[in-house]
Amino acid sequence: MSSIDYLRLLQLAAPETFLTLTGLMVLAVDLIVGRGSAPGTRIILSGSVAATGCLLAAGGLFLLPVYGTFAAGMLVADPLTVLIKVSLVILTLFTVLLAFSDAAPLADPGEYFALLLFACVGMMFLTSAEDLLMVFLALEFTSLSLYILAAFNKQSPHSTEAGIKYFLFGSISAAFMLFGLSLVYGVTGSVQLPEVAAGLARAGNDPLALVALVMIAMGFGFKVAAVPFHLWAPDVYQGAPIPSAALIASGSKVASFFVFAKVVVIGFGGAPAAVGSGAAPVWVILLGIMAAVSMILGNLAALVQVSVRRLLAFSAIAHAGYMLLGILAGTEGFGPLVYYVITYGLATVGAFGVVSIVQARTGSDRLCDFAGFHRRFPVLAFCMLIFMLSLAGIPPLAGFFGKFYVFAAAVKAGSLALFILALATSTVSLFYYLQVLKQIYVGETADASHWEPVPITVSVALLAMAFGVTLLGCFPDLLLNRITIALRITGF
Amino acid sequence: MTPLQICLLISSLLFAIGLAGALTRRNAIIVLMGIELMLNAGNLNFIAFWRFGPNPEALTGIMFVIFSIGIAAAEAAVGLALIIALYRHYKTTDLDQINSMKG
Repeated sequence: MSSIDYLRLLQLAAPETFLTLTGLMVLAVDLIVGRGSAPGTRIILSGSVAATGCLLAAGGLFLLPVYGTFAAGMLVADPLTVLIKVSLVILTLFTVLLAFSDAAPLADPGEYFALLLFACVGMMFLTSAEDLLMVFLALEFTSLSLYILAAFNKQSPHSTEAGIKYFLFGSISAAFMLFGLSLVYGVTGSVQLPEVAAGLARAGNDPLALVALVMIAMGFGFKVAAVPFHLWAPDVYQGAPIPSAALIASGSKVASFFVFAKVVVIGFGGAPAAVGSGAAPVWVILLGIMAAVSMILGNLAALVQVSVRRLLAFSAIAHAGYMLLGILAGTEGFGPLVYYVITYGLATVGAFGVVSIVQARTGSDRLCDFAGFHRRFPVLAFCMLIFMLSLAGIPPLAGFFGKFYVFAAAVKAGSLALFILALATSTVSLFYYLQVLKQIYVGETADASHWEPVPITVSVALLAMAFGVTLLGCFPDLLLNRITIALRITGF
Repeated sequence: MTPLQICLLISSLLFAIGLAGALTRRNAIIVLMGIELMLNAGNLNFIAFWRFGPNPEALTGIMFVIFSIGIAAAEAAVGLALIIALYRHYKTTDLDQINSMKG
């Protein structure tokens, strides 16, 4: 074993190190300066430190990226992972800004913001891992932070329930994943993705390899909330504090889908063909079924939801189905998938932001609580219009182009049946998104009580996200060109 | 039967017992114990594959296990904390009674 060049490690992991230090600083600031002040002051104090840290980290990543590989794929920084990391930090930044809202009275704002940053660090390590050990460690690091974030509101039984459900489902799937990884190690003798790919290709039709692939797919299927591993999602989205739910729905999904696609495309590329079913490798069949069921169940279940957060959860399950199409398309679908996931994350955080405003003022998130929102906050109602239509995939918003590129890649890859299903279910999804907008714009309500004004940070964050979704929709090349160039450099 | 096969049998059994415990028991703490068993089954696999594999001088397997033992400990800590929070609200750790959210 060669000695480790720590200076190089520090260079490559500078953004992660910086965010970790920021997280610790948030804790210290809240403890030293914020002690004894009002909760509102403490939120603003520690939140501004966290937001500044995110801004600096995103700026540093964007302006001064460092590329390289450390310890044979333990930590890979290339243009593609840097791009994903920038989007992760920006999504975390918006989540931090949402937490300024008074929706969830945070008992310990310092800890909350620090955990948000730690979760972001975990996701960043996850994106840059090309080694199954790092994938597992980063996945668990992210998950453990998110479990605590989901259960953070100790006053609310719903939040605790969301946390425990997320934790139990999450750790069972982590155990499946670990067992699957151990079998991969047994079959291939390595945990580095390129060598794993070679080993799996050598192994051919080894039943052990099949079991391993199924178990790993289960682990990732849980993280991205694809049916049949989605059971936690509605409860967590509904019960967790809103910024936590927003991060689970956006950042965690971006990172998990990216690494899922990387593991599948690089690692399983030469995976064994399914026994007796011709040429299609087993993971294609497996992911195809997961995608189809997610699209159908997610969209149909969302139709009957009363709680908007549950509705967003089922829509997230449906979107996971569409995103799986991108993974199925292989290398062809990688770029579209990245674009889709990032724009989806942006629109989802925005939608959760609007829900948090309503929930803080009415105490719940039922559809009928949104009635008259347009009269109270016309600009924010318009933001919600953009988010919902983008999620539904209406041009010229970003969601449309995401779906368009992913579906096009799926057709090119030859999964025509899934494409038709996606198109059909996508039409169904328009109904429930419009249901929300209908309440906002034409819903009748007798409640004429005065609503407190929205905190400035939340409005700014929502406007920025709405602007981002529109901009990326009108000029998809802004992001897509970067992704394509990054993919070419990375060699996909 | 080779030693590797015996180890794999034991670990598969351990995994199955853990999974059965996690899925059938209603007490959150016993579910947590089941999950720990499942994680340890994975660890046992790694050790077995490392020890009886083609190149035991590369320390990949044992390194993975050391890290995953750490992860399992962290998971137990978070899990127990969550269970305590749960108990404060519901005065029970029976998972069947924790269903306040319906859709």
